[in-house]
Amino acid sequence: MQNYAARTRVAKGNKPVTYERAMNPHHIGHRKGWLSQHPCNLKGEEGAADRAMEDTFIRRFIFGTFHGCLANEVVIKRRGNMVTVCAMMLQKLPPQKFYFLTGYTESLLSHFYKCPFKLEIQTLPEKTVYKYV
Amino acid sequence: MAETKLYSRSQEAGKAAAKYFVDNNPKYFTKDFAEPHIPCLMPASVSMSLEEVSEEALKERIGLRKVAAAVEMYDQLVQAGTPVSKQITYDLLDLVSFYDDREPAQEGAPVTDQMDTPAKEPSRRRGRGQKVGWQENNNADRLFRLLPERDGRCYAALIRGMVKHGASSKAFDLYTDMLNNRLTADIHVYNALILATPHVRETHSERIDLIKELLTTMNQQKMQPTLQTFNNVLMALRSCGGLAKSQALYTLREMKALGIAPTPASYNHLLAIFYRGVTGSNDIDILDQVLSEIARTSFTCQDPEDAWFFSGTMNICLETKGLKQAYQLYKLTEVGENWRLLGDPFQENMFYYRFLSLVCMMENMDVVLKWYRQLVPSVYYPNPQLMRYLLQAVDMDSRLELVPSIWKDMKSLGHDDKSWLVVEVQESFAACALDIKGAFAGEGRKINLEWSTAALYYVTTILMRANKTPEACDELLKDFLSQRSATPAMAVELVQMSAGFFLATLSELQSSWEHNE
Repeated sequence: MQNYAARTRVAKGNKPVTYERAMNPHHIGHRKGWLSQHPCNLKGEEGAADRAMEDTFIRRFIFGTFHGCLANEVVIKRRGNMVTVCAMMLQKLPPQKFYFLTGYTESLLSHFYKCPFKLEIQTLPEKTVYKYV
Repeated sequence: MAETKLYSRSQEAGKAAAKYFVDNNPKYFTKDFAEPHIPCLMPASVSMSLEEVSEEALKERIGLRKVAAAVEMYDQLVQAGTPVSKQITYDLLDLVSFYDDREPAQEGAPVTDQMDTPAKEPSRRRGRGQKVGWQENNNADRLFRLLPERDGRCYAALIRGMVKHGASSKAFDLYTDMLNNRLTADIHVYNALILATPHVRETHSERIDLIKELLTTMNQQKMQPTLQTFNNVLMALRSCGGLAKSQALYTLREMKALGIAPTPASYNHLLAIFYRGVTGSNDIDILDQVLSEIARTSFTCQDPEDAWFFSGTMNICLETKGLKQAYQLYKLTEVGENWRLLGDPFQENMFYYRFLSLVCMMENMDVVLKWYRQLVPSVYYPNPQLMRYLLQAVDMDSRLELVPSIWKDMKSLGHDDKSWLVVEVQESFAACALDIKGAFAGEGRKINLEWSTAALYYVTTILMRANKTPEACDELLKDFLSQRSATPAMAVELVQMSAGFFLATLSELQSSWEHNE
């Protein structure tokens, strides 16, 4: 039985793959960082499942709102009450549309989860390819 | 740099869009995770909860400012025969007259960018509310007639609403109606009527007489005039021509006697009365007097017209070329809380534009530069007209070395797409180039500069681009072509550019070039 979790299978050598996708899950902590940072997995802390649900919702929300613009996975960091969402975007939309969507996302997610949200995006001209598989 | 406003406004628009969603679908946003409760992140109660026909529902609709829904509810109540209390009826009448039977404007409508139209301000802002005025037989009138007994309060609501939305003659008719019914009007009605005077009388003296009549009636009723009364009197006097000057001063003395301190709005009206168009030499004094009196005073906003004080007064300084007064006025904005009175972004822009253009016109280049560096871009983004004034000042002072830095500023501000402005910059650059040419050809110098190929090339291209062909072609081209080290590419470019201008000497040039080849 082979493992299929979060691995890209090797193709003919023409498939571009980012660093995140190229590394397998057992490389987390060695060659990869964590995409979601919160204290709930420490000993004696609760709420890990809720945070996981929130993370999934946030990832899907960002994927849909900035449709076709995400260059890499979304990184979610929690500090106290605040949630900081860091995303790398492609330069597919003009800057004022990015600002509009940023204001909209921050406001809507703050109202939804009742905690301050910050969205920090960086834009790239195209996806950074780590290797071709 | 000019895009920062665009970006911050798009972010605001995004926030407004999110707020719209949250308020219109409150059921998704009511689950409260926060401990302690954060009230500002809950959906606002914008929609009505009570649906049945009752007085509470009517009260709720009035509280939420839903004009059409409130009127409908009232009609339903009356048809069902339920008695509606007087207080609520009066509240409803107030609501309908204030909004003139239309819904209140949505909050947070974006302010349009009006930086590039400096001249159109007065006509736009003196309009009374919406363009379509008070309609015949609208809901306010209808409700008024349906009322079994009419109180001073109903008349007041209707008169004030009519004046706000421009139906001044109807307001006066209602007022006479009220007096015939032996009801006394309160201070707000008189304030509104004074404001409406210029619209119901044609000649200046008639208007002044009407204002005096209203004031004597107020006196008979033993009503104390408020700040709003005096400000409205001064505003109405603005349209009363030359006779208004003495009346205005008289009004001001009354205000002082009653102990009511004049606000910036009163000063604004006063200065507008005195500086109508023609500037007499004796009128300069009043501006000085006003400025010396209010120097070092910090004002709070008490009248909506306060916001026009600074830009209006700066306009007067600009027209009378009063530089000293302009500096005094600028110092006033730095006192205490006065910066809040600079008004909305458009008024603020006007203020700084007029101030800087006055400084450009009157002072020498160093002072101009000092003010320019101080104000731009921290409080003000210049508009193209101001850049032109700046370039003219540079020209007058022959400080042509400043032209490149000004051009850099223009590019970062986004003014490099205005062709007439770019031509001005080109003219300045051409003047620079001519200067350099003069320096090269100068006699009586100890060391004569030799023309290098590169220098020749640059100077010629600049002059050609600025369409100064006679100067360009007389010696320079021939000198250039006679240089041994002239590369063919540069020569071809120059010839192509000159070809665009149909030079008579073109054939000569071509022949000399071929000769060189």
